[in-house]
This record gives sequence, C-alpha cells and structure tokens, in this order.
Amino acid sequence: MAGLEGQATDQATLAEAEARISHDALRRFDDIFRRGAGAFSILALLVAWEVFARSGKVTPFMLPPFSVVAERIYTDAFHGDLWINLGLTLYRALTGFFIAAIGGVTLGALMSRSRLVRWFFDPLISVGFPMPKIAFLPIIILWLGLYDISKISMVVFDAIFPVVTATLAGIAGVDKALIWSGRNMGAGERQMMWQIILPAALPQILTGLQVALPIALIVAIIAEMAMGGYGLGGAMMTASRYANSPGVFAGIVEIAVVGYILIKAMAFIRRRLLVWHTETAPS
Amino acid sequence: MENVAKTAVRYLPIVIVMVAWEAIARLNLVDTLALPPLSKVAAAWFDLMRDGELVSNGASSLYRGSAGLLLAVLIGGTLGMIMARCRIFDMLINPLVELFYPLPKSALIPVTVLWLGFGDGSKILLIFLGCMIPVTIGAYNGARGSDHALLWSARSMGAGSFRMMWDVVLPSALPELLNGIRTALALAFILLVSSELIVSQRGFGYLIGYLGSTGSYEGMYAVVLTVALLGFAVDRIYQLLMQWLLRWRD
Amino acid sequence: MDGQAQIVVERVNHTYRPPRGRPVLALSDISLDIRPREFLALLGPSGCGKSTLLYLVGGFLPIEAGRILVEGKPVAAPGPDRGIVFQHFALFPWKTVRGNVLYGLERQGLPRPEREKRAQAFIDMVGLHGFEDSYPSQLSGGMRQRTAIARTLAIDPSILLMDEPFGALDAQTRSLMQTELLKIWQRSPKTVIFVTHDVQEAVYLAERVAVMSARPGRVKAIVETKFPNRDPSILRSKEFVEKVDQLWNMVRDEAIKAQEATGS
Repeated sequence: MAGLEGQATDQATLAEAEARISHDALRRFDDIFRRGAGAFSILALLVAWEVFARSGKVTPFMLPPFSVVAERIYTDAFHGDLWINLGLTLYRALTGFFIAAIGGVTLGALMSRSRLVRWFFDPLISVGFPMPKIAFLPIIILWLGLYDISKISMVVFDAIFPVVTATLAGIAGVDKALIWSGRNMGAGERQMMWQIILPAALPQILTGLQVALPIALIVAIIAEMAMGGYGLGGAMMTASRYANSPGVFAGIVEIAVVGYILIKAMAFIRRRLLVWHTETAPS
Repeated sequence: MENVAKTAVRYLPIVIVMVAWEAIARLNLVDTLALPPLSKVAAAWFDLMRDGELVSNGASSLYRGSAGLLLAVLIGGTLGMIMARCRIFDMLINPLVELFYPLPKSALIPVTVLWLGFGDGSKILLIFLGCMIPVTIGAYNGARGSDHALLWSARSMGAGSFRMMWDVVLPSALPELLNGIRTALALAFILLVSSELIVSQRGFGYLIGYLGSTGSYEGMYAVVLTVALLGFAVDRIYQLLMQWLLRWRD
Repeated sequence: MDGQAQIVVERVNHTYRPPRGRPVLALSDISLDIRPREFLALLGPSGCGKSTLLYLVGGFLPIEAGRILVEGKPVAAPGPDRGIVFQHFALFPWKTVRGNVLYGLERQGLPRPEREKRAQAFIDMVGLHGFEDSYPSQLSGGMRQRTAIARTLAIDPSILLMDEPFGALDAQTRSLMQTELLKIWQRSPKTVIFVTHDVQEAVYLAERVAVMSARPGRVKAIVETKFPNRDPSILRSKEFVEKVDQLWNMVRDEAIKAQEATGS
C-alpha cells in the first residue's frame, strides 16, 4: 500500500508544482512588464521562425515559414478536413478521459471502502501505473480492430491509473473528524460517500484528472498516428508520409492550441469547483 | 518469514491474473491467436532472447532513451536553474516554457522524423524535446524556492556565484528536480515505444510492430510485457535512487 | 571617527522596495562606531530595520546612501571576515553537522587534514560530539543553532553578525545558549553585533545596546550595559533589573509609536 500512497504523494507534489505555476501565472497577470516580455518572446519566436525559414539556411522542407503554415491551417479550416480531424481527436480523447474519470473515481472509492477490492487491485495498479502502457497498443488493435473503440480503450487504459491513485489518496486523507461528525448526524453509507467523502477528496481527485487529461490527449494522438485515418494525429502522419512539411507543422500548431485550451479549461474548472477550498492548505 | 508471507499475499492478485490468463487461453474461451497462453509467451520470450532479437533491439531502444533523457536532464536542469536565478532569462524563456508545456508531446513525432529521418537521431531529439519541459519546470520551481539565508551563508563563507549554483541552488532544487525527472522518465518510455512503433527499423517498438504484422503474436506479447516490466522496474529503481539522494530530508 | 573603531557606520539610509507597493524608508541616517572585540546589541521593535542594518554590514544588501567601513575599508560584498548566524539557522539541510562545519573551511582552501581537525574542534566546542554524522533534520532547534555557530566560528571571522540567533528556540534552550555564547566570546573575543528584540537578552549579553526606533529606523540611544561579571546570577541584581527597565521603557515607547503610525 505504501507504494500506491507514495505515487499519490508524488502526484500531489507534481500538482502542487503545477498549482504554483498557475498561481504565478495569475500573479504575473497584473504585471504588465512581465506580460510585455512574454508577448515579446512569443512574437520573437514567430518572427525568428519566419526569418530563419526564409533565410535559405534551411530548406522549406525542413522548416516551412510560419506564414506558409498559417495559410495551410486557414485552408484546412475553410476548405479542408480540419474540423473533422479536430472533432474526431477530441471525441476520442475526451470520451476516453470521461470513462477513465468515472471508472477511476468509482474504482478508487470501491477500493477505499472494501478491503477485498483493495487487496485485489492494489498491486495491479501499483505495478501498472509506472508501466509504459502504450506498448499494449498493438495488442489492443489485435483485440478491438482499428476503429474508435480501440483508440478510446487505449486512452482509458492509460488515463485511468492517475485517477484511481488520486482518488485513493484523496479519500485516505479525508479528515477523520469530518467522517465522525457525518456519522454522528446519521448519514448513511451512500450519503457519506456522496456528500462528505467525495467532496472532501475533490481537490486530489481533480489533481488526478489534471494529470490524466494530457495523457488522454497524448495517447489519442499516438493511437491515431499508429492507425492512420482521420484525426489530428492521423492527418499529421499522412502529411509526413507524403513529405508535406507545411501539413506536419500545421498539425503541431493545431495540436498545441488544442492542448493549451484543454489544459487551461481544466484549470478553470478546478478553480470554479474549489472556490470553497483554500488551495494553499495541504489537501 | 512473516514478511515473505505478507508480500506473497500482497502480490497474490498478480499471480491470479496470470493463472486466469493461462486458463482462459488453454480452455479456448477466447481465440488463442488474440490471447496466446502465458506459458507460450514465456517460451517465445526465451526464443527471442536466444536469437538475440530482443537484446539487440532493446540495446538500441535503451541507447536512444538514455541519450535523450540525459540531454533533457542536463540542458533542462541547467535552463531551469538559470531561469530561477536570472530575471531576464526568466522573463524571456518562461513564456515559451508555458507555451510548450501543454503541447501533447506525441505531436513532435512526425517533425523529428522530417528533420532527422528514421534512425537514432530523430528518437533522441524527440525524447530530448519531450522530456525537457518537465525537467525545466522542476528545476525552476525547486531553485526558486532556495532560501536566501542559505545563499548568503555560502557567500559569506567565500563561495562565488558558480559555487553557489552548485553547492546551494542545485541541492535546494533537488527534490522538485528529481520529481520532474521522474515525470520525464515515464514520458521517455511512452515517446520511445510509440515512435518506434510508428516509424522505425529498430528498437522494442519496432519489434512489437514487426512481430504483430507477421502474425507471431506470442513473440509480440513477450516483447510488450518486457517493455512494460522494464518501465516498472526503472521507475522503482529510480524511486530508490531518489530516496537515497534525498536521505537528508526528515 | 577615531582610529579605534573596527566598524564605522556613517549616515546610512536604506529604502525597502517591495515588489509591489510604495517604497518604505527602512533606515534613516544611522551612524554607529563599533570597537574591536566589542559585544554590541541592536535592540528594537520588529520592523525597525535592525536586521537590515546587520545585512548591510554583512555586505548582503547594497549600500545606497552613506558608508560602512570595516577595518577602514568600505563594505562591498560578503566576506569571511564577517561571519553570520541567522535566526532559522540556515544550515545546509543536505549536509551533516560535519559537512556544514567543513563547508566554510573548504571554501577557505584549507588542506584536508587541517580542515577535519578544525571542524572536529569546533563541533566539540559547541557540545555536539557524537552528532557529527547527523543531518540537521535529525537535530533539535538548539543543536541546529550550535551547528550554525560552530560553522561560522570555524572560519574564524573577526566579526560575528548574529540575527536574532536564539529567537526560534524555546525559553530554556535560549538561556542555555546565551550563557554558552558568552563563554565562547570570553574565550576568543570577537566583535559581535547581536540583533534582538528581547531586552533582557540584550542587557545580559552585550556591553553596549543600541536602541532603535521604528519607521524609519533610527538609533535612538546607545546605552552602556557593562557589568563586572556575567554569570546568570546578575539577572536578579538590582542594577541589572534597573537597566532592563530603562531599556524596556524606551523600546515600549517605540513599539507604541510604531503601532500608532500604522494605525492612523
């Protein structure tokens, strides 16, 4: 059991670090000087990209100018498959993520309630968590074929581990006094879980989800790359196969934007859900 | 003796899963092509070891992984520490780190292939780029937390700026830096195996794909399990290393 | 002023600039002379800038106005001639007691056998024999501060800067440490600047006490607190109690004034 809780603590450290980053980002928000520097360095990166690509030191194949890539994204969006690809990738990643979230919280809650369930799953999860589960992709293809179901399954398989461990650690960390006072007020087992234990464990559960979300995206894209077809990953792979370098770089920019928006949205949801919670207090 | 029994009870579920696997396959409950019995997978593993396929492919995977990770740790760690200590660097580099931090790293696979082809170079670059961000963030957060009283003490005892970096900032940053490296380690395995699976002519991932496409599913299972267990073992060994390096904490 | 002074602080001002908000004048027109081997306490309410003054002498903060001379030379940077001891010990948590004490000696470039011998001597002196291989996290607060003192004394600074060194210790440990510090100081006299807000501690330890006012920090008075002997029995003597009373009134006035200033 020490192993599982250890992993959860590591995750908590990770999330603390991330919370600190977003806190810093927030504080920086009102620091105009810093923001100016930030905009400057991103702009400088884009300008450097454009200038370097046009300087003739690299072939347009190695690095197409940013303007060409932007044009390609524009064409994809209005005359191409960008929205289909984007929709499919999001569908696969998010469906997998939600199944992993619900399944992971359920399994974590069951493990914390039942000694038998915990005995059975504890070693499987502590051994499975650090494994590179992506290696199982060909096996999953073998079982489930090349359709969405196999991609979503791969996402679930990879994303569920951090959710389970975070839920377990969150529930283990719930203040005993809270549980006693709940019992005292006559809450039943089900009410205890829904109204006391899960809300109290929510900060850690959300941390687990914040770890799981980027994993879901990474895995969905890898699965698409390996299987081909529609989707942002598949489109990038096709572009790469036809040596279409603007297509490859357009894919990176598109995926980066999607990742950025999803992660910011998740952080926003966390803040909304935890308004009652002083994030500084150890959860 | 009691400890042995405890460990046995603890890991019994893994044995149960293995036995169930063997039984399901032997009783033909599912297609044996899709799920060969564990014993046959083990036999295939020994065959692969004997003809050297596993070792030679494994060696090139390990070379790529450790080279990329080493670069990421050295460059990312240095960058993070400099960012924490130098305001201008911080202001210029931090926005870029924040921009690349949410990028699903797998998106880099086709680009590294475009730049460096199908060989070792593209894999090393991919792992380096993917793993650098968590290491940088770990080093940055850790180094920023270093106590100014420690820095002052070191200075008053005669340490110069470089010595302070090495003697005070680095050890202060170590707990968070090591956590960042642990994240990078897991990421390195994912990127390595998936890039080899998708575009490569060598390595664990390639071997998995090759055996799968030729229908030797027993061998494929053997390599998949080898990679999974290797990832698990490396993580555990790394955790022990971390404990030892941080033994000074209470 | 006169050639006797080892440390000369002359018309020093210091402005504290918080990352956000208005700058605050922390020290205003401070002048002080400190003689060689003198034990001087800087006493004042919190926020009077006494630690800031100490950091300026240490060379940790830039001097913006006025000047500070040590042995006739202006202070530009921290140096091993001025050892510092912090309230929260500032030990390297990743080094053992021995490693901490050795650190400064390594930086001074002493050959290894001499380093080891010297470190051991100072560890023994502060009574930590047997704890050489313990990490700070395994020690009590008092033992940590002993380690910090040994580490600073080992590099043999001629000046000892102490920033509320016993402020984080419990009452019993604090009085033990005070007595021990006096013993050490009597055995190898060094110039000591000792920052504290504890009046009794200042009177007991120091030969002179500089009382500081708050916001902005000024030297309000310099009081001689020399007693014929310094064993703990004087704590109950009439002169001692009177001195404490006199200084306490000065500090209290300042504390009240500081409170009113922030209140209005």
